[in-house]
Amino acid sequence: MDRSLLDCVVNGGRVSRGIAASRTMLEFLREDLGLKGTKEGCGEGECGACLILLDGRAVNSCLMLAAQAHGREIVTIEGIKGRDGGLHPIQKTFMEEGAVQCGFCIPGIIVAAEALLRRKPAATLEDIKLELTGNLCRCTGYEKILGAVELSRDELKKKGKR
Amino acid sequence: MRPELLVRPSSLAHLWKTLPSLPRDRRYLAGGTDLMIAASHGHAGDCWVDISGLKELRSFRETPSSLFIGSGLTISALAEMPAVKKWLPALALAAPHYASPSLRNMATIGGNAANGSPCADGVCALCSEKASIVLLLKGVKRKLPLPAFFLGPKRTALRKDELILGFEVPKWRHVSAYEKLGPRSYFGISKVSVCVSAEISGGVVKETVISCASVAPVPLMARKAAEFLYGRRLDEGTISEAAALAESEASPITDTRSEAGYRKAMVRVLAARALAKIAAA
Repeated sequence: MDRSLLDCVVNGGRVSRGIAASRTMLEFLREDLGLKGTKEGCGEGECGACLILLDGRAVNSCLMLAAQAHGREIVTIEGIKGRDGGLHPIQKTFMEEGAVQCGFCIPGIIVAAEALLRRKPAATLEDIKLELTGNLCRCTGYEKILGAVELSRDELKKKGKR
Repeated sequence: MRPELLVRPSSLAHLWKTLPSLPRDRRYLAGGTDLMIAASHGHAGDCWVDISGLKELRSFRETPSSLFIGSGLTISALAEMPAVKKWLPALALAAPHYASPSLRNMATIGGNAANGSPCADGVCALCSEKASIVLLLKGVKRKLPLPAFFLGPKRTALRKDELILGFEVPKWRHVSAYEKLGPRSYFGISKVSVCVSAEISGGVVKETVISCASVAPVPLMARKAAEFLYGRRLDEGTISEAAALAESEASPITDTRSEAGYRKAMVRVLAARALAKIAAA
């Protein structure tokens, strides 16, 4: 088994270790680092449950080899936090608005929402819908999720919470 | 099965030096969004050569008469470039219909071609913009018109170890329309797509290129339809005749995504819609 050294930043901390060539980023995060917030849904890039930020952009960690993150920066749902280290405003809004049912898709959706609102703080409902086209939720019917992302956008703008 | 051997060359020079020592059944890994799925469904080579880190494949150059797009650029990166919006309107229009935002952040335009699928959105757009593909093997470059790169479903002109350096697209003053029919409005693989790029001068068609996805073994160029439109005005009659010609050029199959008869009929509908949009632009 071919192993290589992976040196990257995960949620602000430096990680350096040998990994198997065939390890996916999703396996690396969940099994090697114990970061279980990132979920495996379909394993084929269809559902978005495994989204992480790679150098600030949302990517499907199930379709990426861990080795490809060498020298790069990863943020998982565990690394999305408020300024005080507690819940991020998007996470708070999702809870308050009842946008979470079974919760399995939510880490991926919050990662996608965070990626969008960082890039486009004044995102419209249409922008939000387009950004979430790669995220499946089988419980909510999406209305509450879309509403919560809109409210998060307003909260973040109002309070400059970044 | 994902292979147990992964090689990550640091430059093209390093790549060509490393290749002879590797197992014969090797594949290039770029964005990985197709290759990783192929690996989960079966054998996908004994060794992967990861070219996603090669800066030499991510260049973007603009000259007075053309653009050069590095094969390693992601669909997202391209969609955000002002030069793409200005000179490659078909690619800019196709981008939001290309998979999902997170897949566009990984998937490369070179991979879209290398995968050899007749349904590729990025390829369909670039074909209508008169792109050529530039291939590289150990310092030897060759250039093909993009449609000639595709030999059949999943079969391309790539030789052993050859890679896609990028795409050369001439600057021409065209407007484009991209009509895609999928299982839903976004994030679906196309049942049929039709892309039209056209230069209209003095009210008549000076040049038009029509490409279609998912309706032939390779990305299809509707040449008869395009030739018919040369020198004509785009009106209801000419649009309807050109759309019928495009339909006659398609040879779709029935598969899990759609049926041959429906696909063929939809080529006419989508071509007419695209041409009407061009006429109104």
